[in-house]
Formats: sequence, structure tokens, C-alpha cells
Amino acid sequence: MKSSSRAALGLPEERRTFAGASRVDSGLLAATLLLAAIGLATVQSASAELSIDYLPRQAVWVGLGLVLLLVTLAIDYHDLVDFSPFFYLGGLALLVVVLIFGEGPGGTRSWLTIGGVRLGQPAEFAKLTTALFLARYLASAGERHLDLRQIATACAIVGMPMALIALQPDLGSAAMFVPLAAGMMLIAGLRLRFLIATALVVLALGAVGWHFGMKDYQQERVITFLSPESDPLGAGYQVQQSKIAVGSGELTGKGYGQGTQSQLRFLPARHTDFVFAVLAEEWGFFGVAVVLGLYLLYMVSALRIALRARDRGGILLVVGLISLLGFHVAYNTAMVVGLLPITGIPLPFLSYGGSFTLINFIATGLILGIDLRRYVNR
Amino acid sequence: MSQRTDMRAVREHREVLLIRVRALTVLVVTVITLITGSYWYHQLVRGAHYANLADNNRLRKLSIRAPRGLIFDRHGKVLVENIPSYDLMLDRSRADDIAASLVFAAGVLERPVERLAAELEKASNRPDFVPVPVAGNLTLAQVAQMSVTGREHPEFEIRARPLRLYRHGPQTAHVLGYIGHVSKQDLATQPGFLPGDRIGKDGIEQTYDSALRGGAGQQVVVVDSRGKSLQEQHRKPADPGQDLHLTLDLRLQQAAEELMRDRTGAVVALDPRNGEIRAMVSSPPFDPNQFARGLGAKQWQALLDDPQDPLQNRTVRNSYAPGSVFKIIMAFAGLQEGVINESERVYCRGSATIYGHRFGCDRRSGHGWVNLREAIERSCNVYFYHLGQTLGIETIARYARAFGMGTATGVDLSGEKVGLVPDNAWSEKTRGTRWYAGETISVAIGQGPLLVTPLQTARLMAAVANGGALVRPHLVRGAFGEEPPPRLPGSMRWLDPIRDGLRAVVNAPTGTAYWNARLADVEVAGKTGTVQVISRAKVDGELSGNLRNHGWFASFAPADDPQLVIVVFAEHGESGSSGAAPIAKALYEEFFASRAGTA
Repeated sequence: MKSSSRAALGLPEERRTFAGASRVDSGLLAATLLLAAIGLATVQSASAELSIDYLPRQAVWVGLGLVLLLVTLAIDYHDLVDFSPFFYLGGLALLVVVLIFGEGPGGTRSWLTIGGVRLGQPAEFAKLTTALFLARYLASAGERHLDLRQIATACAIVGMPMALIALQPDLGSAAMFVPLAAGMMLIAGLRLRFLIATALVVLALGAVGWHFGMKDYQQERVITFLSPESDPLGAGYQVQQSKIAVGSGELTGKGYGQGTQSQLRFLPARHTDFVFAVLAEEWGFFGVAVVLGLYLLYMVSALRIALRARDRGGILLVVGLISLLGFHVAYNTAMVVGLLPITGIPLPFLSYGGSFTLINFIATGLILGIDLRRYVNR
Repeated sequence: MSQRTDMRAVREHREVLLIRVRALTVLVVTVITLITGSYWYHQLVRGAHYANLADNNRLRKLSIRAPRGLIFDRHGKVLVENIPSYDLMLDRSRADDIAASLVFAAGVLERPVERLAAELEKASNRPDFVPVPVAGNLTLAQVAQMSVTGREHPEFEIRARPLRLYRHGPQTAHVLGYIGHVSKQDLATQPGFLPGDRIGKDGIEQTYDSALRGGAGQQVVVVDSRGKSLQEQHRKPADPGQDLHLTLDLRLQQAAEELMRDRTGAVVALDPRNGEIRAMVSSPPFDPNQFARGLGAKQWQALLDDPQDPLQNRTVRNSYAPGSVFKIIMAFAGLQEGVINESERVYCRGSATIYGHRFGCDRRSGHGWVNLREAIERSCNVYFYHLGQTLGIETIARYARAFGMGTATGVDLSGEKVGLVPDNAWSEKTRGTRWYAGETISVAIGQGPLLVTPLQTARLMAAVANGGALVRPHLVRGAFGEEPPPRLPGSMRWLDPIRDGLRAVVNAPTGTAYWNARLADVEVAGKTGTVQVISRAKVDGELSGNLRNHGWFASFAPADDPQLVIVVFAEHGESGSSGAAPIAKALYEEFFASRAGTA
């Protein structure tokens, strides 16, 4: 099993020795730590007017995340890729369990709880296991272009957790598997024409889904997105208030803890999905530019690690994780200024949230680990 | 497959992969750049717009109402003031069960719960967090009771607001007017008004509204998303309204009101030297306090439907035929035009036949030979019929206008009627027929289409009293500048014989007002007038109610040094002599007694 998976990755067993110890990528690590610190500060400001103090909790998650980052760094990612089928199946099992026993806001089933204690969102965990398993499968494909059977298999790998998450229903999280899969498959050799064909099929399915599959409130969200001013006190309220928060930050912001939109509770979900609006209001365009710059640093550093990596599996894994994280960043920041419809997509390292924070740190650990072990296969 | 070739294969694939990774890097940089650009647009290009929206979100501008100015009479006695009135306000956003809250409040106030519910219903379109009044005019006991037992009901609060108090109720009502809620039209046309603001609706309250109202202040408070006010950010204090000092003499006014009680009509007393109105009464009156407290639809309709029309200020808004009072103008015109002189006599045998019509005199047996003074004193119609025939309508109209008939006096009250001075042009324009010479004969004794207001009559008397100046009547001291008033045309020496006649009306035993207006120590001069409501020929016997004649008495005193003009108009008062003159007499007594007392 072990040697066969090595072979699948194109890595001869005897080459796998630890040689030429490397430093971790300082740019990526610095971006991670700074973003986490900014996240803590912003969560504190955003939750200052709430009855529950979110800062200590988020601090615990960040601390735990850092520990998990180090643990992930210590484990050879090849082993994780090797064991990915088990992780993947475990992830699917958790998704089934959460569908049966889960709890969540508004009658959804997204949270795994035992004895009233929230353990986490299996959907977040599934993103990671799916990325690992897909990396393993696509690395073994090993050709210039993916053939139809390989594409179908990859889609099945991604489709199963997606379907289970969509049943919760958590369409936002389910949708996150699309950039993950698309990023990895394109790098692995998916022809663009397949992607275009898929996009057309998705659009067609979307039209059908609009009429037959979407609940009223989901349709409403899309309509609201297209015309937020049409219902300023209803569904459009959030977008409107978020845009006001962002725009009124102007160049230098209103100052930390001084954002009127957030402190006076005009802004919804300000410690989770709209945390970036709080930051934009209080720190202005300067703050926005710094944070977006840090994300850019993170992603470009990660992609440079991909360029340095010597094996297909490592490259694909980095690309998958960056596609996922990058999509979160792009979608969330675009949603906050009303460029995209509102769905519950949080911002990595900044939004309050347990599972999500941990997954981001583990992903960072994985990427750093891939860099650390790039000479293994020399 | 050897390891070496295997490695090469990996290497080849790696190069392909790396090209794609570089492409992905470009994509990442592009997307982040686009998003940054979008924030640049929102925060820097549109930043001011959103900053404004954020302010609109968090700042509520509240208007601070200025205390309305007080109104005093000429001696500094308070006529209108502001007293606190207590309203019970309900903040619906803080009530768990609105129905239960209303039941509680109704119990404490001992008012039917339906009334509170009805008040609440009126404000149903306002946002929940805006407290709305559910009960008004709470007594101090109710306020105390509410604040003691209402501790468990934080949804209620007591709000004190200034209530306009008209000290003397219905007295002075028409002069002072009243206030009411601004209309939708006011809100649309006049800046600075908010719904619920009060505005002067009539009388002094209306004419001097902007001075009395002052300038509203502004309070800017920070509110949260639920509209809860958190702190005050800015406060511009209100600019209190200006106090007004009227020319009105409260004692004289009250005396006049008392004399007009249960009568319909109007009284105007003014200083002929400067036009200051000392008393102005329209009867029946209304109670302006009703309006201040808030008038129900039923009460309002009752006022509108009242056949006595208590809301109408008869001194300026009703016009009537002047009757024999008009003979003053006729006499002045005749003397000025040289068609009569003081000594020329006319024989009155009880009627005159002119243009083939028989025109009767007041005294059916006739006055015999009368000169001008006697004609005025005894109000001989025949004398004036001939004078009217000689002068013609155009000359009569010219002199009537010179005495201010047909034009507003310019008093500081709204809705003043201008009356009517008929002439040929008027007839052709409104009736489409020529003026008939026979009509001139009626006009000569103040009948026909001629219409004047009691205030115009007072101004006419003032001009006779003061030697020809058409003073501008006014209610607020110093309301108008020192601009010299227009004067009567021609020579003022012709006023002397007229004044002689007017003096005789009251002081000669044969004068029409000898029995009803003569005072022991002050010489009063005046003229009675009686206006036929319907022609006497049409009804036999006693005339009653609203078919009875109107009575005028227009006068001034003392005759040789006029200090006060009094005009009384008694609607259906039977005659000027019996219906109007006694009121003037009583008022002169009051006026000169108080003058003697204070002097």
C-alpha cells in the first residue's frame, strides 16, 4: 500500500530521505500570523457591542490553530496523502452523521454537537480531506491532459461531499468545492473546453434549479443581490449596510472601535461574514489595502512553494488549498462590497469561527510542510 | 520502467504544471487587484456619499420647539401664556403586551381604554420606537399616580409640552385667534415645519405667527440600529418666540364682551388719533382654548354648523349695508362739491317722489323744514334723497372710497373684507346692466348694494373725529411705521358742520341717540343707522329673529377732543338707536371712568 502510493505519486521509495533541511517560508508564515492578529483585533471591535465576548474564544481557536499548524508541519504530507482515502471516507461519514444528528441555525444541520457542546462543522473538515484525496488521485493520473474517465472520477470525489453538504443545506460551503476541484483539475491537465462545457451545464442546471430546487429565501437572496435597494429593510438591508460601512471608512477609516455602522449595530454578522466591513469602516482603504496585501503575500508565497515543489502531489495540494482559500478571500471581500450575492462564506483568519479557523491553520501547515520537504525527492 | 526515465517523465509533467501554476498566480494577482480597485472606488470615489449615508443611519435630527411668545394687553396684562400640559406617551417597542399596557394606563387615569386605543391607532403608521401619545391633558394627580404605580411599565413616559392658554377664554377670542396643527399645505410650502408643529390659525396668532413662533432649535442624537438614542451630539438651542404687546385695553374689551353677550354683532373701539384698537369684539365668540387642547372632529363640526357662526370675526370679515351712517359721507360730499350748505333747508313731508318712485322717510309724518345739522340729527332720509339725486352715483362712490369704503383698512388681521362701493362700472361688470338712477336714492341713505365692515366704519368715524386722516387700525403696538395716513380730499372745514350734526344726534333732545347714548359729563358725537333686512312692506306686524333690522351706532368722544371712536353693529338689533347706541354709551362710561380713575 505504502510503496504503491509512492509509485502513484511518482516518488521512488528510496529517494524519500530527509535531506537539506530548509527554513519555513517566512512570507507565508508572517502573512498568516499578521492576518490572525488583525482578525483577533477586528473580532474584538466587531463584538464589543454584543452580549457574548467573542475575543477569548477566537483567541483559543487561533492558539489551537497554531498548535495544529506545528503538528501538521511535523508530519510528512506524503503520509497524509497516503492515508487520504481514509480521511476522505471519514469525512464523508461525519457528513452523514451531521445530516442525521446535526444542529444549526434556522433548522439546518451543519453543526456536530455532543451533549450540547459544539464540536465543529464537518463541512470545513471535508474540504481538507477532499483536497488531500483529490491530490492523491490527480497525482496518479500523471498525464499531460486528463481523460474523460479521470475527470468523471475527480468529479465524483468532489461531488459526494458537496452533495452531502448541500443537503444540510449549506449551499455556500458546498459551492466552495467547485473552486477547489476546478483549481486542482486545471493544473492537473483539465482542458479548458471541458471547463467551458461544464460551466454551460452548470448554468443550465442552475436555471432548472432556480425553478425547481431553490427555496424562496434563496431566490430572494439572488434577487436582492441584483437589486439591493429594492428592499432596504428586508433582504437588501445587509448589503446596503455593509456597503455603507465600507464606503464611509473612506481613506483612513473612523478609527479602531469607532465604526458607527458596526458599533451601533447597523451591520449584520459583523464578527463573522462581515468582519471585513468592520475593518474597512474602522481602518479605511489603508486597512483594506494592508489586509488584501497580506492575502496576496500569502497566496503568492504559497504558489511559489508550489513552483518549488518537486512532486505532482505537493503541487496539486498547494494549488487546491490556495484555490479554496483564495476563493474564500475573493468571494467574501467581493460580497462585502456588494459585488456578489450574500452567502455564508467567511474570510480566512479574520472571521470568527472554530472549525474554519482550525482548517486554515492546518492548510497553512500543510503548505509550509510541502516546502520544508521539497528536497526529499531529489 | 527505469527510475531515470520515470524521473524525466515527472520533470516534463512538472514543467507543464508549473506553467499552469504561474498562470494561476497571475489570476490571483489580477483578482486581488480588481477587488482592491473596487474598495478604492467605494471608499475613495464614493466615500463621501457613503459617509453621508452612515451619518443618516446613526444621527437623528430632532427639532427643539421654541416657547411661543406671550401676548399682553396695552397695560401689560397677560392675555395668552404657555402652561405645561402632560401627555402619557407609549413606547411600543418596549411593551411586551400593548393591550395589557393600555388596560393598565386606562385604570390609572380612569379613562375608557377605548379612548387610549383610539389615540394609539392614530399613530399606527409611525415607527415602533417613536413614543406616541395615548392620553393627553393629564392632571398633576394623574401624573403622580402614573409615576408611582407605573414603575413596572417602562414603556410609558410622561411628556410635558407647552399648552397655549388663553387666559380669558372666549373673551378676546377673535382678536387673538388660535393655534392648531400645521396643515399638509403648510408643511409643503413653508420650510422649517415638522408634522405636529403648531401654527397660528387665526387672529394675532396667525398674523404674527413667525414672530411668536421664534426659531426652532435642533438636537442631533446618535441612535443605534433600533433607533434607541445613545447620546447627544449637538444642540442648537431654540430661539424663543417674541412677546407681543397689543393696543387692546383688556378692561374695555371685557366690558364690550359683556355688553355683547347673548347678542350677535360687532364692536370696534379705536383711538382716532393713531388707529390703535382698544377693543374689538365679535359676538358670539368661541373658546380658543378648545383648539389648543385639540378639537375633536365633532366639536369642530359643531362650530362650523353653528348658524351664529362664532368663528367669524364680524368686525372685519362680515360686511353690511351702512344705513344712515353713510349720511356722514353724503354730507361731506355735498359740502365739498358745493351742492349744499349748512343753512339751506329741505322740506320733509315723510316721503319724496323721485323718478316716479315714492321713497319714504323714517318719520312718516315728516320732519318739516330741515337744514344739514337737523337732517343728520334726526336722520332725515328725504334730505339725503335729494342730495343723492344731485350728486349722482359716481360722485358718491368717489367720496365713499375717499373715506376708505371698498378697500381693506390694513388691520393686522387676516381675511379682511373690503366691502362694496357700487357705481356704474360695478353694475355693468357684475350685473350686466347699467346703474339705475333710482338706485342712487337708496345708496344715499346707506342702503342698496353698499357694503362696509364695522372696522371700515370705525376708520370713517376716526377720520371725521381727527380732522380728515384715514388712520390705519392696528392691534399690535408699533405694528406699522410712522407713515402719514392718507387724508380726505378737499377742505377739512366741511367736517365742522358734520361734527355739529353728530353732536346733536346724541345731545339734542330730538337727536336719534339722545335717549340712548348721551352721557352726563362727556359729550359724545355719533350717528345711528338702521339697515332693513327685508322690505317693511312685505311683512305685517312684528318682525322677529333674523328678519329684524340691523342696528348701527358709530361715534366718538369727547366731541371737541376725540379720544375714542366706538362703532357698534347689532345684528338684528332692531335699530341703531335702541340696539347699538346703549352699548356704546356703556363703553364710554367704562372708558372715561377708568381714565378718570387712573389719571
